[in-house]
Amino acid sequence: MTGFAAYLVFFLIIALTYSIVVMGLNLQWGFTGLFNAGVVGFFAVGAYGTAVLIGPERAGAIGGFGLPFPIGVLGGAALAALAALIVGLATLRLREEYLAIATFGIAISIQLIALNFEALTGGAMGLISLPRPMLDVFSSPAHYNLFYLGVVAILALVVYLALERAVTSPWGRVLKAVREDETAARSLGKNPVLIRLQSFVLGCTLIGFAGGLYVGFIGYVSPLDFLPILTFQIWAMLIVGGSGNNRGAIAGAIGVWGLWTMSGLLISQVLPVQFQSQGGAIQVILIGLLIVLTLLFRPRGLIGERETVSKHAGPR
Amino acid sequence: MVAGLQVGTATTASAQDCQVSIGAVLSITGSMAAIGSAIGDAGQLAVDQFNEAGGVNGCQIRYVLRDDQGSPNVGVDAAKTLVEIENVPVVLGAIQSGVSLPVLTSVTVPAKVTQISCCSSAPSFTDLAASGGTDGYWFRTLPTDRPQAVVMANIAREKGYKNIAVIYVNSDYGVSLSRQFKAATEALGGQVASMTAYNQEQASYRAEVNSALQGEPDALFLIAFPADGATAAREWISFGGTQNMLLSNALRADEFVDAVGAQYLSNAVGIDNAQVEGPSVDAFNTAWSAKFGSAPNGPGLHTMYDAAAVALLAMEQGGEANGTVVRDSIRLITGGEGEVVNPGVEGFKRAKELIAQGKPVRYVGATGPITFDANGDVTGPYLIWGVKDDALTTLDTWDSARVDAAIAEIDG
Amino acid sequence: MLQALADGILTGSIIALGAIGLTLTMGILRFANFAHAEMITWGAYMALGALALMGPFMAPLGALSFGLPLIIAMVIAAVLTSLLALMIDHLVFRPLHGRPNDMTIVFSSFGVSLLVRMVVLLIFGGSAQYYSNTLQIAVPVAPGLRILPDQLFVLGFTIVTVISLHFFLQRTRLGLAMRALAENPTLARVNGIDTRVVIRWTWVIGASLAAVAGVLYGLTVQLRPEIGFHLLLPLFAAVIIGGVGNVFGAVVGGLIVGLAESLSVFIIPPSYKLAVPFIILLIVLYVRPTGIFGSAHHAGAK
Repeated sequence: MTGFAAYLVFFLIIALTYSIVVMGLNLQWGFTGLFNAGVVGFFAVGAYGTAVLIGPERAGAIGGFGLPFPIGVLGGAALAALAALIVGLATLRLREEYLAIATFGIAISIQLIALNFEALTGGAMGLISLPRPMLDVFSSPAHYNLFYLGVVAILALVVYLALERAVTSPWGRVLKAVREDETAARSLGKNPVLIRLQSFVLGCTLIGFAGGLYVGFIGYVSPLDFLPILTFQIWAMLIVGGSGNNRGAIAGAIGVWGLWTMSGLLISQVLPVQFQSQGGAIQVILIGLLIVLTLLFRPRGLIGERETVSKHAGPR
Repeated sequence: MVAGLQVGTATTASAQDCQVSIGAVLSITGSMAAIGSAIGDAGQLAVDQFNEAGGVNGCQIRYVLRDDQGSPNVGVDAAKTLVEIENVPVVLGAIQSGVSLPVLTSVTVPAKVTQISCCSSAPSFTDLAASGGTDGYWFRTLPTDRPQAVVMANIAREKGYKNIAVIYVNSDYGVSLSRQFKAATEALGGQVASMTAYNQEQASYRAEVNSALQGEPDALFLIAFPADGATAAREWISFGGTQNMLLSNALRADEFVDAVGAQYLSNAVGIDNAQVEGPSVDAFNTAWSAKFGSAPNGPGLHTMYDAAAVALLAMEQGGEANGTVVRDSIRLITGGEGEVVNPGVEGFKRAKELIAQGKPVRYVGATGPITFDANGDVTGPYLIWGVKDDALTTLDTWDSARVDAAIAEIDG
Repeated sequence: MLQALADGILTGSIIALGAIGLTLTMGILRFANFAHAEMITWGAYMALGALALMGPFMAPLGALSFGLPLIIAMVIAAVLTSLLALMIDHLVFRPLHGRPNDMTIVFSSFGVSLLVRMVVLLIFGGSAQYYSNTLQIAVPVAPGLRILPDQLFVLGFTIVTVISLHFFLQRTRLGLAMRALAENPTLARVNGIDTRVVIRWTWVIGASLAAVAGVLYGLTVQLRPEIGFHLLLPLFAAVIIGGVGNVFGAVVGGLIVGLAESLSVFIIPPSYKLAVPFIILLIVLYVRPTGIFGSAHHAGAK
């Protein structure tokens, strides 16, 4: 298997990993109305958490526990949950926008830790030579990638099914109630703060979990992988796919990531040389425009919230 | 007989109708964009000249440049398309070690494609290669940080600097160069007053500068890229820091001198690998100036040209556009006792002739003689630069022998 | 130590200028405007553009690195930044007002911030720029303390601006209406204040102060498309410390954040400096979410 098929497998592994992030974000924004402005931070916590747990021992460093990969990923997800708890407890009883500000802040702080806390994170050089799960079982890299794609696809499917069940369960209905009419929810004896906290932490756990899967595939982790732009990319995936719609979240992840990787090539070929260094700006402007224009003109996203979830128009 | 004749003519005529691709992953956009485009041009220059000399193995070379946007996930994706869709036997790049490393481990090595970087200087590659993690597919045309640090420590000693502050960019490049410098300086009996890391793309480095000024240093070693370096240098000078400055190789750019002001840099000395004097260097410099109308000042130009040239010559030598063949041919056309060929159309023509005759070739490039060690690293000569009359000038050169002697002095 | 104190006050005063606008918009328009920090970037670059159009620098004023044109450029920048703010409000925020989820508007400001920053990057490029390329050398004023003449100007200018704003808010009808709306919107509406006029002026004042902050920042540090982005967290921290809607609180909050950032280098490596506003923010949110001077009204609005 070579050529386009091999590339497609590779591309889908990354895109499906992001789709789990987008579904986590969808739980927060699409179903609960919580604005997480620091997606990349929780993704990074999951990735670094996994890397430290599964990585080989390094001289003079914290971590390198050499644990099995599944434990590492779950550990990374748990750390992301912990980070979410710290911000969530501080802000969710306050005005909603405080959560946005605090998540923005924690993402910046996490990036600084990744870059500077060398004993734990490897600093600017990152952590290299991380073991990739079950690599020696497969005869060729192409087969291995196919295997990994299977794993990621199954996990994305499991997350999808679990979330679909969750949002139609009694808990999901309370979620919707809190989102749409807090006073009513309160009068029914539901604690909106607690419900929101659950949704936020669960969403961040999924984001951190995807971070672990990413590390397992790339076998390497560095601060460059977790730049603030990733937060915007993930948001664009959700907004394009349509918030409140998990199938849209998956489609959005694949579509936006595909556009992003292709547009770089396109811009570098179309733009005159002297403007090329600004070509990245054009790409990001497109992302920004996509977000703002979708909010203004297609508030239900390109795919949109399904009627079963809410009969009201508009994202909430 | 007739068939044989036809085959013979087919190989010479096929220069027009067969094509091989060579890939490059560089930061055309993103944080390294300021230097990335020009580096891309340097690779293009080598490919153009090789095509003019008749192509590789009788085929036209297509140079496929992809942008990594300064981020590993995009870079890995770009390399993957090059390898799987464009079928390139060689990937040139990336610029940042943080991009080159995941490309190497998750794309090129598994696919048995040779990767040659112009610009990634982190020591992690040496470690990885030594432990067998690269299967020999990794090469780089710029020396690692250690020789640079050793030469710089020697310069500091010559200048009589006793207590040196180091401000370095918090990247793999800055971290490793600063550490090597500290070790070398202390081995030579000097003292490093403080080591201050700064994060890239900040508006101000005043806090870092203040902290570095604490130890009352008599000199500053600034390890930075031009834009951030200018910010740090301006604030350093502005707040009373000494103008006895030592500057790392990435700062050898007009942009840096213009932003800081040449009048403040008269005491500064910088280092850079590559541009020693000699016909091979002149050949590149002339070709560059002729094509782009400016002198090739800027990080990565010479090393990128050589990365591309080495890859193409290895393909010609091996007779096949295949990653493993390229890997195994690279040392045949660089080290050894063959006839010396230089950059440029004429040089490549001569190299092709010699290879066709089965004679050994030794490429001496834009960076001078190139010898890859077992880990794919080169040690090279260095030049010492300064600023005179508002322009960058070369003050001194250290040939490989002198560099080796300096390293030997420290290693004892 | 002395140097760190002086630097902290200086950075703090610039944060304060930006935070005033942010606290007013958060108080009056009732949403956290992530795009506010980009007004600082925009203002700084508009002044650069205006300067370029005015041609070569006139003779610098005294020991300062700049002359009268910069002051004119600052006024032009304030006007252009106000126009941008009004335009964004008209095109994006107002149409989104009244959407069922209040956070839609906050999220849109997040997208707008990215847009503004990238447009600046596209027009002016990513490398550092300066109003004057001549390097100013700091003057030693005390043992261990060096100050740029420009920095004294910045400090003086900030003080004058804050005092004028104070009088505006205390003495004029419009100013009183703004304060009323910021501190207690329900009460203000009952009192028959024309909120549309007040909102328009809130944008103009907030944007102008941001532009001034941007120019002063560009003067003492440099211009980069990221300057606003890096100030965003300090701005929010300053606003929340001072209490949302409280102008005096924003100034105090700005100084606290500036000083904390600057003094933090004695405890932690300078590369962690950017996390300091977040730590302060988190402490305030846990301990006293209304801020030092805030009324329970805003933070407790849930």
